[in-house]
Amino acid sequence: MSYTLRGRLESRLAALALPVLVAAALHQWWLIELAGVMAGVALVLDLVYHRPIAYQPGWAAVPLGLLELGCIYVAVRLLDIHAPLRWSLLFYLGAWVWAQVLGHAILPLARLSYAEDGGELGAATVAVAAAALVLPFAAAGGIYEHNLPPVVHLASGVHQGPLYVKRRIRLVGEPGAVVRGGIVVLHRGVTVSHVRVEGGEYGISVLGVKNVTLDHVTVVGAKLDGIHVRHASVHVHHCLVDERGMPWGQGIDVSYGLIQGDSMISHCTVLGGRDGIVVHGSMGMIEHNQVSATKMTGISLTEMSMGSVAHNDVADALGVGILCGDHSMCDIDHNTVVGTRPDGTADEMRSGVGLEIQFGAEAELGRHNDLVANPRHLGVFLDSWVRWH
Amino acid sequence: MAPRAAIVGGGLSGFVAYLTLRRVGVEDVTVFATEADPAANFRARAAAIRQTHMRSESDGHCLPTSFPGLAVREAVERRSVRPLADSALDRYHPTVDRFLAHVDELRMRSGWAPVPRRVDRIVPVDGGFEVAGDVYEHVLLATGHPGLCVPDELRDDPRVVHAYEPHEYADSVCVVGAGLAAATEWRNARAAGARVTSVRRREPVHRPLNVPRPFLSKRGLARFHRLDRGARAAALHELLAPSFPREWESGVPVERRVNGADQVICATGFLRGWQHDPLLAQLDVPSVNGWIELDRDATVPSLTDSTRTLALGGVAAQWAYPAADTLMGARYVAHAFARRCRTR
Repeated sequence: MSYTLRGRLESRLAALALPVLVAAALHQWWLIELAGVMAGVALVLDLVYHRPIAYQPGWAAVPLGLLELGCIYVAVRLLDIHAPLRWSLLFYLGAWVWAQVLGHAILPLARLSYAEDGGELGAATVAVAAAALVLPFAAAGGIYEHNLPPVVHLASGVHQGPLYVKRRIRLVGEPGAVVRGGIVVLHRGVTVSHVRVEGGEYGISVLGVKNVTLDHVTVVGAKLDGIHVRHASVHVHHCLVDERGMPWGQGIDVSYGLIQGDSMISHCTVLGGRDGIVVHGSMGMIEHNQVSATKMTGISLTEMSMGSVAHNDVADALGVGILCGDHSMCDIDHNTVVGTRPDGTADEMRSGVGLEIQFGAEAELGRHNDLVANPRHLGVFLDSWVRWH
Repeated sequence: MAPRAAIVGGGLSGFVAYLTLRRVGVEDVTVFATEADPAANFRARAAAIRQTHMRSESDGHCLPTSFPGLAVREAVERRSVRPLADSALDRYHPTVDRFLAHVDELRMRSGWAPVPRRVDRIVPVDGGFEVAGDVYEHVLLATGHPGLCVPDELRDDPRVVHAYEPHEYADSVCVVGAGLAAATEWRNARAAGARVTSVRRREPVHRPLNVPRPFLSKRGLARFHRLDRGARAAALHELLAPSFPREWESGVPVERRVNGADQVICATGFLRGWQHDPLLAQLDVPSVNGWIELDRDATVPSLTDSTRTLALGGVAAQWAYPAADTLMGARYVAHAFARRCRTR
């Protein structure tokens, strides 16, 4: 077939309509995202193909299909779409086979001049295909919007806590909104954003629930943990936790959330406290944070935790900069640890170690950790081991 | 009242147009033909050059739609995917026998029953054309090639036979021409034990189909249709250069002039130009270098308006579709003609 550009795009739209409808019908969000990526990649590639491929023989569908599959895979990875590989491949294969059947049999049979028109379909067919393509995405967007939790605005000014969040809401602080005495999140899917929390035993607690997001929160002067997560999973982004002057305080403590799924802490600044960011018995990704002036460890994964510590800056920690301890499994790379100080005891494991792996822990260490001005850059203790990559 | 359509010419081009009109629901169609078998001419010519396989591929058939082609039919019949795989690789060429059987089957199935009459004149009248004493709103002239072409200098040579006339091979054969028929004759004469030489004015082009593939669809045609008269005539001359698929090349020696061979086979095709066709010659319409100027839908502009259509099919439609004398070309013209019959 020698496609015109319009014909190539119109035939493609018609072919995409069915997989998009299937994705919408199956009510799987990843499938709708995948169908969206497939549509985007396909239409972009069609623009690329047009000039160099003046005539496209039947066999070319195979290499072009593989090329598209590769592009879709890369796009899915870049967009962080959590699509199961096997089902995604099956879905793509089904869509590809459908496109071949449609392009080589159904459309030429249904439309007399399909071949000589270079794949063009005429206004009515294109309108139907476009509708079939657009409507599911529009519906999915509507459903997504409809399913978003309601927004509760926290007015500017001081609110006396503790504030308990027992419904799925988005709690959004207006400029100057402050809660004294802490916030306790007790429902899954809650988002807390742009709120400043002062004082309290814990600044923000998340207890026993999944998919909680803390975004642009500031916690100052909590007696124990600035952000306290137990049996829960959280995504914490762009936070500031200041525990300076709090003798028992910690920055962010995520503990015992192994069965609740991954937690992520990124782009946070933690000042002071005993541990800056600590993960116990959980799965976590700790990335792009700045931690300084801690009294126990800057960042630690411990008690059989699993996760990665990457692109963090740890400065002026007392004892240990980054710790992977107690049978945890850690991937540590692209961090900067500067100026770790010995704590003045005879404990070798607290002698100002930049990166410390101890007590049966296993660490994958990248070669891009920047360790500066630490009395001891790397310490591996008590049946632990390190693999460099 | 439903429009009346007439097809003048009962060859493959007229047959494809008839099937297409039936497919789109145009019921009142009259076909004028001197021969009941639409493949009669093709059958005789293919037999003369001993052609075993079609140059066309899967969609070289007479159905109104390109699918299902002959590869699909053969795959179903043989219960094999081989024809489909060959088709995907552009290597499927049905046998002439299979194609002729397909034509016969369609002829029987379609109720094809042309009026056995030669039409000598088309007279434009208000709202249509008078053909054989009746008036039709839409008329397609698909009269085919006007005759075999033998170069003037060879006309009186007793050794000469045209490739499309029945013939055997002498011990030494000189084949004049460089198209598909010539390539077939080279191979067949050699296979018969003859010494073969080739005489040609132009070097043949090696390509799988009559014209480059983009010119079979809107992609190449859009460019072609945008050319002005002179440029389009030059482009046609170039596109219609003698050609055959590379694998048909048999490397026969080439000579500049017809030599003293026992037999001279003129594989020089057909007379070219509307002047050689009595029916077209009586139309007073503009032409360029032997090609009647047509709109892109193969209609004659000066004789076509909102009430009537005069369209040309087959080789006479090359101004609109360079490969008009192929089965794809027949379908192109038939589709355009059907659109006019359906919407006027």
